[in-house]
Amino acid sequence: MDFDWSVVVDALPALLGGAKLTVLIAAAGLVGGTLVGTVAGFARAFGNRLLNALALVYVELIRGTPIVVQVMFIYFALPMLAHIRITPLSAAIATIVINAGAYIAEIVRGALLSVNKGLKEAGLALGLPTWKVLVFVIGPIALRRMIPPLGNQFIISLKDTSLFIVIGVGELTREGQEIMASNFRAVEIWTAVAILYLIMTSALTLALRFTEKRMRIL
Amino acid sequence: MSIVEFRNVTKTFGPVTVLRDVDLSIQRGEVVVLIGPSGSGKSTLLRCINALETIDGGDLVVDGISVREKRTRIRHLRQEAGMVFQQFNLFPQLTALENVAFGPRHVRGTHRAEALVQAEVLLAKVGLGERGHHYPAELSGGQQQRVAIARALAVKPKLMLFDEPTSALDPELRQEVLRVMQSLAEEGMTMIVVTHEIGFARKVGTRLIFMEGGKITVDGDPAALLDNPENPRLREFLHHVH
Ligand SMILES: Nc1ncnc2c1ncn2[C@@H]1O[C@H](COP(=O)(O)OP(=O)(O)O)[C@@H](O)[C@H]1O
Ligand SMILES: [Mg+2]
Repeated sequence: MDFDWSVVVDALPALLGGAKLTVLIAAAGLVGGTLVGTVAGFARAFGNRLLNALALVYVELIRGTPIVVQVMFIYFALPMLAHIRITPLSAAIATIVINAGAYIAEIVRGALLSVNKGLKEAGLALGLPTWKVLVFVIGPIALRRMIPPLGNQFIISLKDTSLFIVIGVGELTREGQEIMASNFRAVEIWTAVAILYLIMTSALTLALRFTEKRMRIL
Repeated sequence: MSIVEFRNVTKTFGPVTVLRDVDLSIQRGEVVVLIGPSGSGKSTLLRCINALETIDGGDLVVDGISVREKRTRIRHLRQEAGMVFQQFNLFPQLTALENVAFGPRHVRGTHRAEALVQAEVLLAKVGLGERGHHYPAELSGGQQQRVAIARALAVKPKLMLFDEPTSALDPELRQEVLRVMQSLAEEGMTMIVVTHEIGFARKVGTRLIFMEGGKITVDGDPAALLDNPENPRLREFLHHVH
């Protein structure tokens, strides 16, 4: 069969619109997920028993269920339970926040705990309060170690947004699906969709490499 | 008044008693060398002094502050008792200069530029004037340990605690660290040094303490004890270290 470029050209505006939404969901979700993950990761690493247990339950709950089920729950079940209205877009963003947050919590925890205990003691021995040791000693070292796995998680979450096709949010995969359903040009459309995802993930990978190079990993 | 005063101090780790009713009084200007078999509680005794370990019984007063006081006072106590670790524990993300300036900046609130100027002076004092902009990973073990000494001194402590400062070093790098410690002692710094360097104990120490099983069993003049160790366990220990 022939690859008809005109199909791609015609579909491109709609696909780019979808890609924009994909970026929006991923970016907003990951900003929130990083915040949530940082808090939960600190709770896991340094929290008292209660905070640690709460964070652990959250992490296990999310890691133990598929993301499609999570977004279905947030979009369909939560409004019934809590009597709220929720748009597909905000359900999608919220899902990335809580989903990525759980994985990032483990990344943050691992990085914090990987920092040699002797450095904490060296900071304390100088007379610093514990929070300053966390901010000025452990934090900067842990942050450097977090960057590779964090970048990995960002790429995974970006691709996970394609699963939100199930709630009808018009991200890239959904747009591709809709165009395909009207013109039946599966080869052209899915090739174009795949390439758009590749462009987004490559950009992320490059940004990651650049950051890793600039920061010496300790 | 003594600068360090152990009164009946007991320290346990779970079921294990590591310090047993330790009484010890150290005066300003003393250079106390602490020796003893592995596991006898030397590190624990040292770490109790700057409250890196909490004591379970008795009292321990450092420069007028009890280790049982509240957190802000403990931080003050720690500023008076500088600590040098066996593994150096330099901050790897900071240069040698930044490591030395770290304490003054974050503890004393000294301005960055001023702290760095003071750090240069201290690094020069430990013989590392040229190495300020190197990261710890770019320095030899002996150089790292001298940076660590400068970092502790930067907070202007009244007392310095050394926990086997040369044990992680290759033999040829030990002297440069011991020389820095000796000159510190000659300036009148009060020091408590856990070490196996018997030569240092004899030459620099003003007092030698031997610990066994969480107790101080010998305490006296280094030269006298080393020349004529009456305690049979000390004699045996010295035999092994030499
Ligand atoms: N954090 C700890 N938890 C449990 N036991 C410890 C801890 N630190 C030290 N100990 C135990 O306390 C005893 C004394 O240790 P330490 O003070 O390090 O001895 P030394 O420095 O003389 O070798 C050892 O039996 C050691 O196993
Ligand atoms: Mg020890």
